[in-house]
Amino acid sequence: MMLLKIAWRNIWRSKLRSSVVLLAIASGMVGGLFSSAWMNGMANQRVRNDFDIETAHIQFHNPQFADNFDVRKTISNTDSKLRELKNIEGVEYVTSRIKSQAMAATANKNSGVTIVGVNPKTEKEVFKLYTKINEGDGDFFETKKRNSIVISKALAKDLKVKLKSKIILTFQDYNGEITGAAFKVIGIFKTQNSQWDKTTVFVKDADLRKVLDLPTDLSHEIDIVITDFNIAGETSKILQDKFPDILSEDWTEIKPYLSFISEYMDIMMGVFMLIILLALGFGIVNTMLMVILERTRELGMLMAIGMSKSRIFKMIMLETVLLSLLGAIIGEIISMLLINYYGSVGINIASMSEGLESVGYAATSYPALEFYKYIEITGLVLITGVLASIYPSFKALQLNPVEAIRTI
Amino acid sequence: MSIIKVKNLTKTYHDTEVPVHAVNGVNLEFKKGEFSAIVGPSGSGKTTLLNMIGGLEHPSSGMVEVNGTDMFELSSSALIEFRLMNIGFVFQAYNLIPVLTAKENVEFIMQLQNKDKKQMNERTISLLESVGLGDRLNSRPNQLSGGQQQRVAVARALASKPMFVLADEPTANLDSKATMQLLEIMEVLNREENITFIFATHDQRVVDKAHRVITIDDGKIISDESVSK
Repeated sequence: MMLLKIAWRNIWRSKLRSSVVLLAIASGMVGGLFSSAWMNGMANQRVRNDFDIETAHIQFHNPQFADNFDVRKTISNTDSKLRELKNIEGVEYVTSRIKSQAMAATANKNSGVTIVGVNPKTEKEVFKLYTKINEGDGDFFETKKRNSIVISKALAKDLKVKLKSKIILTFQDYNGEITGAAFKVIGIFKTQNSQWDKTTVFVKDADLRKVLDLPTDLSHEIDIVITDFNIAGETSKILQDKFPDILSEDWTEIKPYLSFISEYMDIMMGVFMLIILLALGFGIVNTMLMVILERTRELGMLMAIGMSKSRIFKMIMLETVLLSLLGAIIGEIISMLLINYYGSVGINIASMSEGLESVGYAATSYPALEFYKYIEITGLVLITGVLASIYPSFKALQLNPVEAIRTI
Repeated sequence: MSIIKVKNLTKTYHDTEVPVHAVNGVNLEFKKGEFSAIVGPSGSGKTTLLNMIGGLEHPSSGMVEVNGTDMFELSSSALIEFRLMNIGFVFQAYNLIPVLTAKENVEFIMQLQNKDKKQMNERTISLLESVGLGDRLNSRPNQLSGGQQQRVAVARALASKPMFVLADEPTANLDSKATMQLLEIMEVLNREENITFIFATHDQRVVDKAHRVITIDDGKIISDESVSK
């Protein structure tokens, strides 16, 4: 207890120097944690955006469908599968889709697209694309009109169409015949992924099924939302066993880069924090060496009166660790406040929105950092403090008490 | 019976071109309850001798036996422990721990000895009262005068119940009044509690109070006289 008391009071012997060290540690923490939270928020948003708009958590396909998008590679008994899925614990929402590769043409231009045939009611439960249609840009199949189509703003610009314009879709039907139909634009959406926007159009399942000549109860995709996306892998395996005729894939298998984004951000944060901690570590070593130089006489006296080397080592180590921990805690509190604030109001970098959206990121991001990361960082700072104290403590132990006492 | 035996003690420094014999073949014995002063001019070797008696500095040859233990046969950590349990130190520049109060400074030694809290508290208060600082228990060194700080240092040196106390120029930084107060306190402790004090000094006031005066010059004992008081 006495050693702890001495170590703590020693920190405040030179208030200015300790404050500068604390400020340096706290600033390092804020810089590291806040930028990590920012990157993490961007990644989370990217991943969640993909869940909400493109992939859901788990997808079913005919095992051969993914190879070449062949419309004949379908999932059979879709309705009974949907019913069965709804009764499985952990499954929240399900919907089915039919898909086809097509050429979208207008009088001005044409473009290759993927047509997604949806059941508007269940589609809205699984996907949030309908929220990406701004007021005045139509709706997501609210009307019962036949052959209506929802396209993106980017595609509308490319094809030079607007609401109520007609688009001709040409594709191969279920029997292998080339067929086509005209669809009227009833909604224009805009997501954060401009590449995906340009190549995806939505029509009603019934309309597409008719043109494709696809028998009832066949579909190309079943999309599933579960209560916890973190266990999508395990759930997908369970579903695969239940439905052996289809291919069940979780979001990390459908879009491997999504899980890579999360892992990458973790690695980035690790590297970032490592650099900051390394710099802080050297700063702390330097400060503690100065402290020892200043207290040479005192340390000599302590050795002379019978303080063991292990206790002197512990005293210097305690002082270093306390200083580091205090700086870390101050930095973490400031970071937490900043992250919570910007996590709710968001950080908008409108000037970079086009660039960010071209790679699927939103211009407004919401910094977020899980609580365990703060604990992890505290642990890392503690380790840094202990490591940074080794050399100065070792230097202190090398002092000769008689020479040290003579020091002025 | 002697508690300290110094036999053929020499200390030679080889830092300069010509070796310096700071202590040269010294033989001495100290008995329990002595109040001795080692005197001599600057550079005579008195501090080096005192440091070797205290186990702070290793001799070039010879030995220092404290209560039958040859100190320099002990390992470095055992020697530190030996100093803690057997020897009290008072330094010229007080050398108190600046972040601790007078009470904590005295207690610190006993904490190193793992004494129990109650015993520690009672002894600290009684020691500080005996050096006339019963009312300054919670003052930090920078709130005390030089004389008061040195009195705390004496209380600290006695806290561990040492076999003897070594004091290197304890009055060098004190004015006359503080010097006399300190010497009186140490004399009373010596007389009433039979505590052994060995001083290295060139302060005549200390020499005047000493019961034995050992004069050293060029590292050799010139005279060793008992003074009847």
